[in-house]
Amino acid sequence: MPPIAKFNTLNRERTFKNPSDSSFQTPALQEMVAPHIEAFNALTEFGAGSKTGFLDLAIQDIGPKSVFDMKGDGLGNKLTFWVDEITLNKPMLSEKERNSTTRQVYPTEARERLNTYRGKMQAKLAWRVNDGPVVVETRDLGQVPVMIRSNRCNLQGAYPKELIRHHEESEEFGGYFLVNGIEKLIRLLIVPRRNHVVALIRPSFTNRGPTYSSYGTTIRCTRPDQTSQTNTVHYLTDGGSMLRFAWRKQEYLVPTMMVLKALIDTSDKEIFDSIMLGDLDNTFLTDRVELMLRSFKTYALNTREQCLAYLGNKFRVVMNFPEDYTDVEVGEGLLRKIVLVHLKDNRDKFNLLIFMIRKVYALVAGECSPDNPDSPQHQEVLLGGHLYGSIIKEKVEDWLNGVRAQISQDVRRKVTSVDFLNSTYFTKTLQKTSGLQDIGQKMSYFLATGNLLKTTTVRKLLPEAWGFLCPVHTPDGSPCGLLNHLSHTCKIITEPADVSRIPAILASLGVSQTLVPARGQKTIVVQLDGRIVGYCSSNEAKKVADALRHYKVSGSHQGAIPLDVELGYVPVSHGGQYPGLYIFSTPARMMRPVRYLANGKTDMVGSFEQVYMEIACMDDEVRPGESTHQELAPTSMLSIVANLTPFSDFNQSPRNMYQCQMGKQAMGTPATSIKYRTDNKMYRLQTGQTPIVRPALHDTYGMDGFPNGMNAVVAVISYTGYDMEDAMILNKSSHERGFGYGTIYKSEIVNLDDFRVRGEPVLHHFGLGADAPRSWREKLDKDGLPCIGVILKEGDPICAYIDDTTGKTSIKKYKGMEDGIVDEVRLLGSDYGDTELQKIHIKLRVTRSPIIGDKFSSRHGQKGVCSQKWPAIDMPFSESGIQPDVIINPHAFPSRMTIGMFVESLAGKSGALHGIAQDATPFTFNETFTAADYFGEQLKSAGYNYHGNEPMYSGITGEEFKVDIYLGVVYYQRLRHMVADKYQVRTTGPVHNLTMQPVKGRKRAGGIRFGEMERDSLLAHGVSYLLQDRLMNCSDYSLCNVCSKCGSITSPISTQGTSALSNVREVECRACQTSAGVDQIALPYVFRYLATELMAMGIKVTLKTQP
Amino acid sequence: MNYNAAQSSAPKAPAAAMAYICAECGSENEIKPKEPIRCKECGYRIMYKKRTKRMVQFEAR
Repeated sequence: MPPIAKFNTLNRERTFKNPSDSSFQTPALQEMVAPHIEAFNALTEFGAGSKTGFLDLAIQDIGPKSVFDMKGDGLGNKLTFWVDEITLNKPMLSEKERNSTTRQVYPTEARERLNTYRGKMQAKLAWRVNDGPVVVETRDLGQVPVMIRSNRCNLQGAYPKELIRHHEESEEFGGYFLVNGIEKLIRLLIVPRRNHVVALIRPSFTNRGPTYSSYGTTIRCTRPDQTSQTNTVHYLTDGGSMLRFAWRKQEYLVPTMMVLKALIDTSDKEIFDSIMLGDLDNTFLTDRVELMLRSFKTYALNTREQCLAYLGNKFRVVMNFPEDYTDVEVGEGLLRKIVLVHLKDNRDKFNLLIFMIRKVYALVAGECSPDNPDSPQHQEVLLGGHLYGSIIKEKVEDWLNGVRAQISQDVRRKVTSVDFLNSTYFTKTLQKTSGLQDIGQKMSYFLATGNLLKTTTVRKLLPEAWGFLCPVHTPDGSPCGLLNHLSHTCKIITEPADVSRIPAILASLGVSQTLVPARGQKTIVVQLDGRIVGYCSSNEAKKVADALRHYKVSGSHQGAIPLDVELGYVPVSHGGQYPGLYIFSTPARMMRPVRYLANGKTDMVGSFEQVYMEIACMDDEVRPGESTHQELAPTSMLSIVANLTPFSDFNQSPRNMYQCQMGKQAMGTPATSIKYRTDNKMYRLQTGQTPIVRPALHDTYGMDGFPNGMNAVVAVISYTGYDMEDAMILNKSSHERGFGYGTIYKSEIVNLDDFRVRGEPVLHHFGLGADAPRSWREKLDKDGLPCIGVILKEGDPICAYIDDTTGKTSIKKYKGMEDGIVDEVRLLGSDYGDTELQKIHIKLRVTRSPIIGDKFSSRHGQKGVCSQKWPAIDMPFSESGIQPDVIINPHAFPSRMTIGMFVESLAGKSGALHGIAQDATPFTFNETFTAADYFGEQLKSAGYNYHGNEPMYSGITGEEFKVDIYLGVVYYQRLRHMVADKYQVRTTGPVHNLTMQPVKGRKRAGGIRFGEMERDSLLAHGVSYLLQDRLMNCSDYSLCNVCSKCGSITSPISTQGTSALSNVREVECRACQTSAGVDQIALPYVFRYLATELMAMGIKVTLKTQP
Repeated sequence: MNYNAAQSSAPKAPAAAMAYICAECGSENEIKPKEPIRCKECGYRIMYKKRTKRMVQFEAR
């Protein structure tokens, strides 16, 4: 039995009348955007209750910068400066504004005033000279856009009642930015999984130089502030290996052996032992490790000190450390800032680098397969907040470096004002480089343009994506598979997990320490967030993983293993993925809930571990002893939008993909706070209804608050001939009763500041002067703004303003081709509320009653165009007198196989007859319990045909049709593609002034090109008159003089009239010096143009004219 | 339509105030031309124009 669906009309009405101040009606919506908001919150508060965020971690990582004044001998005085603290404030009014009673700025103001919702960013810059006292100064870094409903938004924690008070949607979920009044969302981006070594075979690796092979292992290491650094170990064909990294967009290659020796005090034996891990029979490995150790002798670097000094010496310029650093210090800094940055301890770095070398050798030997970097197993998500943080970090560092460069330049040029001991010099330099510091502006630019996006080119639907990425909800066509949507149960981890007790638990389970294990023992590695925590034998590892899983789900050991931890156990295989137990606890991973069969509790599963897990889907798929988990619901794999397709399991899959696109194009209810919105364009369906047939998620996500379609009685019949080729017939009476009636809201913004020259006073004011003609006064008030409710036609004034320099009134004209009704006029003040009116926002309403040519669609990818509004008296009717709202052709079904639409029709019909809502969640019916029977019984009990078809009568003759007609209720969407926006027709009109041919473009009333292929078609039909009409008469027809003697069309020119009184002008050929042979013929204008162009090149065109 | 009256009065009194509605507190504000856009009650910076008293005729077809 499918669950009972309900309309919940009364409950919904109650909450609309009395919005709650303590809970949301649809918490699922809030959950949906949680990763966006939490990631942004983490900029300032990483982890619940924490006072430090990514920004604090970032300035720690940047560290102090130093310069020297070169006074005296040596380096002279040392000036050190660093960012001590960085703060982001909630959006507040500026201190310059003195009139407001509330100091907070709410998003609605940014929305209505077409502003950016932003808060002030400040940094505490500290500096000291030598070891003198630390001076701290607070500096503004500009206004940074703030995410709506984040912890820096004034709407944080607000519930419906308060949200409505601030003119927001009652269920407003935020998660986006407001830039110039436009809502901007930072999309989630797929990036390589952090802190995990991936084996790659890339032919491009060989381009690094001679002896470089295509084998490598790479790791994307993430610092605590979420910025990342990629390290790659390359295998060289001579058996050695190189470490590659990029620093400031420049690539560097260092022998891995040098890095290993620089990391810790080690011996060749230790390196050999830790790479071999006791597997001395592997001669492939012994040979190469030996060779690597031997070949490093050429550098003659024996101690750690020497290696560090060597590295420091080579990288001193690149790393840009203070000049008083020794080579060893620079080398240490290099290792700290670039090599395996997710690890703090050098011993851990050493171990992991050893592991990378082991893995690359295993890859070369064929012991393991390359990892697929395009598989969700090796991917995570780049969250907006993390990206935001890394951009801010980059800008802050640029700023500090700019200051440093400025000072050292001054020192080099021996500028007299350079005096480190005088604090005014430093503050002055700061002001000089202030151009670099407006971080807020840069963030706004980033959000406004979206410049930063990266896409991968691999677009396969991989089985690894199961449950994380929706297989249905991806666009069709060029971006197919590149633009993915998360499944609705997929969560993005944003909080840090406490994993400090995991190593102890691992040890208690028999995992050895990181020390080199005993000889001859086959071991696999155990890693925690890219740190090697131990080794254990391969059969033990399975037990360890299982035990950890049990501890995790059951919450034993006082919850030492949080639920969000991922336990990726890769078993030993022959040439498969490199084995190991990889534990992940970091943010930005995708995880999803499934049921743990051992205790029935919910477990969170990540995309890495899922590959090696046995997760059953339906009950009958559970294999005892093998399956450890089961899906919570079979619909978990679908995205929210894909879930809204009713009975999608009955449809052919591409149809569900089409519906995912069309659902977004449906006219609907864009907002309940329409009055407070200033969107450029909004499509609104006036007569939206709640669907009778609805999947469970329709209610979960509160779709009833925003209906985007109508329940229509649909007959599947070939009736008038106007329903061929996906056309549909609308019942004229349904149309007259409001079926599909829609409206478009358009915004017109007039900003008089655009006319103003910088530096000049305000010279343009809204207003209607005495010189304004009567016709303007019909539309505009005396303030120069349009009257609300007035109908604007093309060319009507939309507003008027007076120019002080001329004293004249000018208007701005309404340019739309359709009539617009002035709905709202907003007078927008300035930030400080101290300037006169310069900017207005006018909301125009354009009515869009459905007309022939408008596009409609059911929820099954069955779109069609309205071809006729058929009079109700001529519509077919059933025995009970029902006549359809919509007629569609039966031919729409056989090839498309959208059985879901039939089932919806059946369910809708019985739902309408019994007055109940019907649950349409996919995968509720099966072979033994069919939808046809379930709804058939309902229809039968209502006194209708079991199968949903009925005898019908022709509306024209009144005779009964020979067959029964399938008649039911289907939810129809009106799509926003309307002929009114698209029709393009002309006979004559604007022409291009060079060719005299019609211009192109609908906006310019241009023509549609009648191209070669169309011409061929007319030629083939032999309809030459039509051809003449299209290509000549309606195009660049022109009369032209030609000299039949010399055949030129360029030489005949008109001469002086024969007498001063006569208007008749003589045309004479300049070449022949006579008017005798001059005739007038019709030619395409472009031909004349061609002739002159050829003449300019010295080519003569001769026409052989005949009478 | 009371059209002629509006026309004759407009040029004579160019500084006539118009009433607008504050977007925040809903109070009515008389704002003259070249006066700053600011609510006298709450200091808010957005005003809505009031619906016209003039007759607006729609085509009832």
